[in-house]
Amino acid sequence: MNFLKITKRDDLPPKKATAIRILSILLSLVFAGLVIAALGYNPITVFASMVKGALGSKIRLQQTVLKAIPLVITSLGILMAFKMKFWNIGGEGQIMMGALAATYVALKMPDLSRPVLLLIMAVAAMVAGGIWAFIPAYFKGKMGTNETIFTLMLNYIAIKFVTYLQYGPWRDPSSQGFPKIPSFSTNAILPSIGGVHIGWIIALLLVALVHIFINHTKKGYEITVVGESVETARYAGMNITSIIITAMFLSGGLCGLTGMIQASAIEKTLTSSLSANYGFTAITTTWLSRLNSIAILFVCCAFAVLLQGGAYIQISMQIPASVADMIQAILLFFVLGSEFFLQYKVNFHTHAKKEAN
Amino acid sequence: MEAVKAIEMKQISKDFGSVQANQNVNLTVYNGEVHALLGENGAGKSTLMSMLSGIYTPDSGSIFINGKEVDFSSPKDSIDLGIGMIHQHFKLIDVMTAKENILLGNSNEKGLFINNKELTKKIKAISDQYGLDLKPDKKVYEMSVGEKQTLEIIKVLYRGAKILIMDEPTAVLTPQEIQRLFAIIRNMKEQGCAIVIITHKLNEVMEISDRITVLRRGESIQTVETKGVEVPALIEMMVGKKVDLALNKTPATYAKKVLDVDNLWVSTKDNKHALENITFSLHSGEILGVAGVAGSGQKEICEVIAGLIPAEKGRIFFENENILGKTPRDIIRMGIRMGFIPEDRLGMGLVGSMDIVHNIILKDYHSQPGIFLHRGKSAEIAKKIVKQLDIQTPSIHYPIKKLSGGNIQKVLLGREIDSFPKVLITAYPARGLDIGASYKIYDLLNEQKEKGVGVLFVGEDLDVLMDLCDRIMVFCGGKMTGIVNPDEMTKEDIGLLMAGGTAEGGSNS
Amino acid sequence: MKKSKKVLSLMLAMVMSVAVFTGCSKPAGETNDAAPTEETAATDDVTTIGFLYIGSKTDGGYSQAQHNGTMAVEEYFGDKVKTLIAENVSEDKQTVKSTAINMIDEGATIIIGTSYGFMDGLDELATEYPDITFLHFSGNKMNDTNFGNYFGAMEEPRYLSGIIAGMQTKTNKLGYVAAYPYTEVLIGINAFALGAQSVNPDVEVNVVYINSWNDPANEKSAAESLLAQGCDVITQHCDSAGPQLAAQDANALAIGYNLDNSAVAPGSFLTAPIWHHEKYLIPTIEKIIKGEYTPESYYGTMKDGYIGLAPMTDLVSAEAKAKVEEVQAQIAAGEHPIFVGPIKDNQGNVVVPEGETLDRAGIWSMNYLVEGVTGRDN
Repeated sequence: MNFLKITKRDDLPPKKATAIRILSILLSLVFAGLVIAALGYNPITVFASMVKGALGSKIRLQQTVLKAIPLVITSLGILMAFKMKFWNIGGEGQIMMGALAATYVALKMPDLSRPVLLLIMAVAAMVAGGIWAFIPAYFKGKMGTNETIFTLMLNYIAIKFVTYLQYGPWRDPSSQGFPKIPSFSTNAILPSIGGVHIGWIIALLLVALVHIFINHTKKGYEITVVGESVETARYAGMNITSIIITAMFLSGGLCGLTGMIQASAIEKTLTSSLSANYGFTAITTTWLSRLNSIAILFVCCAFAVLLQGGAYIQISMQIPASVADMIQAILLFFVLGSEFFLQYKVNFHTHAKKEAN
Repeated sequence: MEAVKAIEMKQISKDFGSVQANQNVNLTVYNGEVHALLGENGAGKSTLMSMLSGIYTPDSGSIFINGKEVDFSSPKDSIDLGIGMIHQHFKLIDVMTAKENILLGNSNEKGLFINNKELTKKIKAISDQYGLDLKPDKKVYEMSVGEKQTLEIIKVLYRGAKILIMDEPTAVLTPQEIQRLFAIIRNMKEQGCAIVIITHKLNEVMEISDRITVLRRGESIQTVETKGVEVPALIEMMVGKKVDLALNKTPATYAKKVLDVDNLWVSTKDNKHALENITFSLHSGEILGVAGVAGSGQKEICEVIAGLIPAEKGRIFFENENILGKTPRDIIRMGIRMGFIPEDRLGMGLVGSMDIVHNIILKDYHSQPGIFLHRGKSAEIAKKIVKQLDIQTPSIHYPIKKLSGGNIQKVLLGREIDSFPKVLITAYPARGLDIGASYKIYDLLNEQKEKGVGVLFVGEDLDVLMDLCDRIMVFCGGKMTGIVNPDEMTKEDIGLLMAGGTAEGGSNS
Repeated sequence: MKKSKKVLSLMLAMVMSVAVFTGCSKPAGETNDAAPTEETAATDDVTTIGFLYIGSKTDGGYSQAQHNGTMAVEEYFGDKVKTLIAENVSEDKQTVKSTAINMIDEGATIIIGTSYGFMDGLDELATEYPDITFLHFSGNKMNDTNFGNYFGAMEEPRYLSGIIAGMQTKTNKLGYVAAYPYTEVLIGINAFALGAQSVNPDVEVNVVYINSWNDPANEKSAAESLLAQGCDVITQHCDSAGPQLAAQDANALAIGYNLDNSAVAPGSFLTAPIWHHEKYLIPTIEKIIKGEYTPESYYGTMKDGYIGLAPMTDLVSAEAKAKVEEVQAQIAAGEHPIFVGPIKDNQGNVVVPEGETLDRAGIWSMNYLVEGVTGRDN
């Protein structure tokens, strides 16, 4: 480390910050372009196809929105926890448990009227996801356990439990022995508006609600204070354990709702791959949004563009999935990397510099 | 004094973004000299010394060590040239012995195995040479603050340091420990070491240093011989103008007891007593000081009154009601306010990333009706406090962590005072503040006292405690060793109490 | 600070939200029937076909066998057909539908899904996109207009491979690495067991389920455990060459599946029941292009050439070869049904009474293992 020095920046003028961000995106495009070219494709065509593949037609746009919905709602859930510096990386498991509860309701009461059934499913999903997040919160509050490991491990329990149900007790008897859970009745399926299930309306509503909750309610204020300084919260007389548990319940509840939406609107049943990594991807998007719910909407949409664009070029240009994934990874690497340069300054320490002085 | 220049820093400049931390600073330190680097917070002392120890690189200017120009690219370069830094916050590992700490990170050790005997011998030689007293096999967590500091000193000497930089070395010591430290420093000086002391305590500067360099706002103002200078002149150099440092102490009335602490015991998590059998009264219209070395129970007495930690036994009466067992929120509602300034200033009581309004709302949001947060009233209070206390901020919607330390502390105190408390507990309110700002805080406390508030003042600077307080309660290891009238005691007497002695007189509880 | 971060995402998101809201202005409840956009459908005589594979087209097994069919289609139709291939498509609806929709949007008018788990997604798509034809391999759902399925009587070559195993085992223990206890798999196991028993009444078949179609490590370890139990001929109903390699390491014999792996495991490979997907795909695609296709549930046989045995290697004994060729001829002539009563399950119940022969429906309602077969999870 002798030749370079890393120092923390105090404050960066906004103009410079913008410049760094734009530069990072440009650099990522250049770098990704080089990789694409090295693999024998035309980078310009690939990038153009990605954008076209995500936004180029009504159908593609719908596909993009379908990917953005679970991302937005899960990110809002993650935000609740991160706001409190509670590192909930258990989104996957909470989505799964939400989907599981919704599925239970959908399969047990298939003949309830649609609004009632959907409502019960949503509530059940939020409670189940909430409980799945409450468990690590409770143990952290009472025993100081590490929530990162705890939530991560709960993911596996949830996924394996669903797998067990899929192969065992909940297996569809009419599927010739194939391990799948029966499909929902039509009443358990979310209706569509504008060619996309109403999850997009729910997502937009939740963005607004979470924004109001965090910024304009007493509970939201408490969560923010706890996140900034537990000591200060204690001095102000806040009941920290209860705040952590409430916030985590909401966090898991939102993730659980994602599970219900995906189960009801997309899969129309429960599968062990339903969470589709949204719980992990949402960590990135939440972080990039700087824990701002409005920003989450935009970041998740941009991310969905990346996902759908990546999926599309695999089809349209017959590019292998690994290449599309690599492009996404390079973009992310640079964008996340720029955050480092926004906070730290790097000087190359050379003797040439000294002579120049 | 040999005229060998151990350190020579010429025209050093360093900026952090828009902040000019050092500008054309010059500093020369000779071997066999104790050189004080004096300046208020933010004057650039730490930045300058960080460049000397290789943590930062200067933007321009040159550094000479023992007459040779150097160019540090890492702290290791600096250590290799015999420069040792003793930080204000000890960098020791608690569960290890003194010896193990000395070995830690010592890149000069060759070979895989540690030669234990050799090491002990070497430590002993260094101890003898400089008059230090240290048991090599004692674990750090068993050591007193003074011992830890001794260990830090041996650590750098072991690495061959001939130039020692000490950052606020006396901050955590009792008067007796300070004397011991000064003896060590004088010893090292006689052995030809060059010693730089960073401090803002003027009387210590006068006592120990040979020469003084004063920094102000990143610039070196003047270097003077200690013998030829007086304290007021130094203050003027530091502050840039004449400052009136008189504290106007009006006699306390002791009219009415507001807080009555009776036989109070508090235990820590590992079942030790953090407070043992504490009994005292706080009257309205008095400032009761709390003195003691760091960690003697100051934090616990504040927290137990505020309801943040439970008591093992005992009673605390507030206006004839036992408040033990009440929630912090109940206690706040009753009119007991606490402002505790921890070492990082923001940790307790304030939220750094929030603005003044949202920090003010912290204490009363829960009494607002409904689920929504109403900011209107707090914004008004914020405006009022900013005006009354002359808080320097671009607006009331500006993150307080970007304010200077004095202004942050004014926000904290302002908030507590604004709610018309009956009891005000304030711990280290002037911590890290420059002289002017400190005295503004003390004036504020005096004002509260005159309004009839009972003030419990936990302080670290004995001079201030004696000037400000009507009575001083001295803690040592969780026990109260006396309540004294500062007008009838000397600093040394109080120092003895801090070290565990008992009061011989002046008690008037 | 935040402002600048938003710039990029803001632009993208604005474009999106505008488009979503214009999408809303259409009457609600409308389906996406006008799917292919003008720009992509414009290319006159070329038919675009989308293939969804569950694995990689070079997986050395199931998906590679599917892809061999696809390549034969490409060769046959030449410029008249353009194929879009999606590999590693997971069996959840969001992936299946999104992949297929992307293909449709790219101009595909035929979507071919080649894994059972794609069925429900394709079923929904068939309703949403009535102008697109969907073909599904191994499924049992179809409709009258645009959704058909296809499969093969794999029990026939399985039976033949059983004959080889039955004749060449020395321990009379045969090992079977299977994916799931699912009907298709049970049919294969039973056919194999009956084939083996037809030449060697003492033979027993040990089945291990690995609960995955494609898990090379697990497939191999399951085979190793069977070998350790004394099985000396291993066969499989899963995708990778793992079991064949395990057999090769143990100096045992192996019968593969899906592909001719004689080059991969030359030390153990006897033969494999394999698919000739092109035999179905080429004529069916031709019909679809001409507009003559009506959905059917195709069940290809050895007679059709849709399925068969890979060329037998030199490890197959001469008498086994002769026996296989003899039975193969009977099967191809339609004279040798596989499941002929009396058949008992491994609990001792008679499942096919004397004098009865199972037809396709009977075969596909199988939920038992025949006598002489034991199954367990790995």
